[in-house]
Amino acid sequence: MENQSVVNLELVDLCLAYGLVLLSIALARLKRIGQEGQMLWASLRMVLQLLAVGYLLHFVFAVKSPLPVIAILMIMAAFSLQVMGGRIRRKMPHFYQVVGTSMFIGCGGVTFLFCSLVVHYSPWYDPRYLIPLAGMIIGNSMNGASLAAERLGSEMRERRDEIEAALCLGASGRQASESAVRNAFRAALMPTVNTMAAMGIVSLPGMMTGQILSGTEPMLAVRYQIAIMCAITGAVAITAFLILLQGYRHYFSKAHQFEIE
Amino acid sequence: MKSRQQTNQVTVRLEKVELVRPRREGGETAILREVSFTARNGEITALIGPSGGGKSSLVRLINRLAEPTSGNIQVEGRDIVELDPLQLRRTVALVPQKPFLFEGTVLDNLQRPFVYRQQPLPGAESEEVRHALALARLEQAMLHRDARSLSGGEQQRVSLARALITGPRVLLLDEPTSALDRRNADALAATFQEICRSQQLTVILVTHDLRLAGRIADYLIYLEAGRILEEGRGEELLNRPKTVELRRFLAEPSDEEV
Repeated sequence: MENQSVVNLELVDLCLAYGLVLLSIALARLKRIGQEGQMLWASLRMVLQLLAVGYLLHFVFAVKSPLPVIAILMIMAAFSLQVMGGRIRRKMPHFYQVVGTSMFIGCGGVTFLFCSLVVHYSPWYDPRYLIPLAGMIIGNSMNGASLAAERLGSEMRERRDEIEAALCLGASGRQASESAVRNAFRAALMPTVNTMAAMGIVSLPGMMTGQILSGTEPMLAVRYQIAIMCAITGAVAITAFLILLQGYRHYFSKAHQFEIE
Repeated sequence: MKSRQQTNQVTVRLEKVELVRPRREGGETAILREVSFTARNGEITALIGPSGGGKSSLVRLINRLAEPTSGNIQVEGRDIVELDPLQLRRTVALVPQKPFLFEGTVLDNLQRPFVYRQQPLPGAESEEVRHALALARLEQAMLHRDARSLSGGEQQRVSLARALITGPRVLLLDEPTSALDRRNADALAATFQEICRSQQLTVILVTHDLRLAGRIADYLIYLEAGRILEEGRGEELLNRPKTVELRRFLAEPSDEEV
């Protein structure tokens, strides 16, 4: 990754760019949509949060021991869990336990394999690689995980008659919830599959664009993008699979009784 | 009918069964209070009473779709909590008010219990399928029709055949005719009676339809607000009600007769 061709952005350049946000706010004001305050606040938050992250990463990248890096990853994961918890209204039973362990195994496992076997760099905890890669994997898995959890809950509620009919015919909880689980898994995978299919044509992925802008050879950037897409797909699938594998059980008692509010 | 009482065996016995549910706004609601009764094989025992009296909740306890708060339920002499619940539900079959048929043909539906047991599926010509169809009074030609395209009465018969195909000993019927018109309801009721006699099944029928209960039930139990208020042989109970509640219930026109 050579940096020689990167054009530096000065403060003046950033101010010019921020002018576009001010223009948007002016347009919003013209149409009296009443969101100008929110827009201003959001744009300021964006600037402040990114600057804070920049400074943080600046220090983190200098870290030479694995523990602080892992701690940062844990905080990222906990934050994503909290965001999901806030977004899903009717949570499945034991939501945080189920989703938390699934993300830990799914994202953690894939990140570890990806960093150690695919992008082999050393040391393995080098935050310059580990943090952005894990961030992309966690961020994408979060969407798959919340889709799986949310869909499982709604399928279970809607298929109540079907599930009880199956139980009456001697089905186990696993057998009775088979179609609910199948649909939830499909819903969780769909966005990732669609993204893969549209990649390069509909959108140029952010990571690849960023690498190209910072001077990476396009073919190398493409290889990185392919690799990370594969990792994301794997992480989403494993996380969603584990959520469903644990999740459906919490809807049934030991005696295979369907328990839903 | 009296002689039957001595020869037939008790196959379902409930002792002091209570069901209490926590209320959302705090406190508890008693769904069933100290319910005790016995049901014998070769007989239809009907649970009658106004809706919301706990009848449907009660039958769900017998095949362990739900757990009572206290009390004891025995099927063929054994406490149901000692049995494997999946095995119990094959011995104690339940036909719900609204039949749920799975996507696919009638045959697919009849094969479901075998899918769950991971047993070889009986074909259209098999003894199991023929027997179940005959019991539910369904034509062989119906096997390959889309189950969900059938009429309400036919769907209820498929649901019945599917419940019978694994040879249960007890049949729980939860308002099985309430969604049907009178002609279909009467025909289905006659089928229940035949099956009960020919297979020596213990049938427990939940209904608020007195006409149906009076016609086919051997023994009647009147349940109101979670309590058994009165019970007795069919005709006797309906002709000489002892409690004010049952008298009042008998005087009300039932939905079916409107």
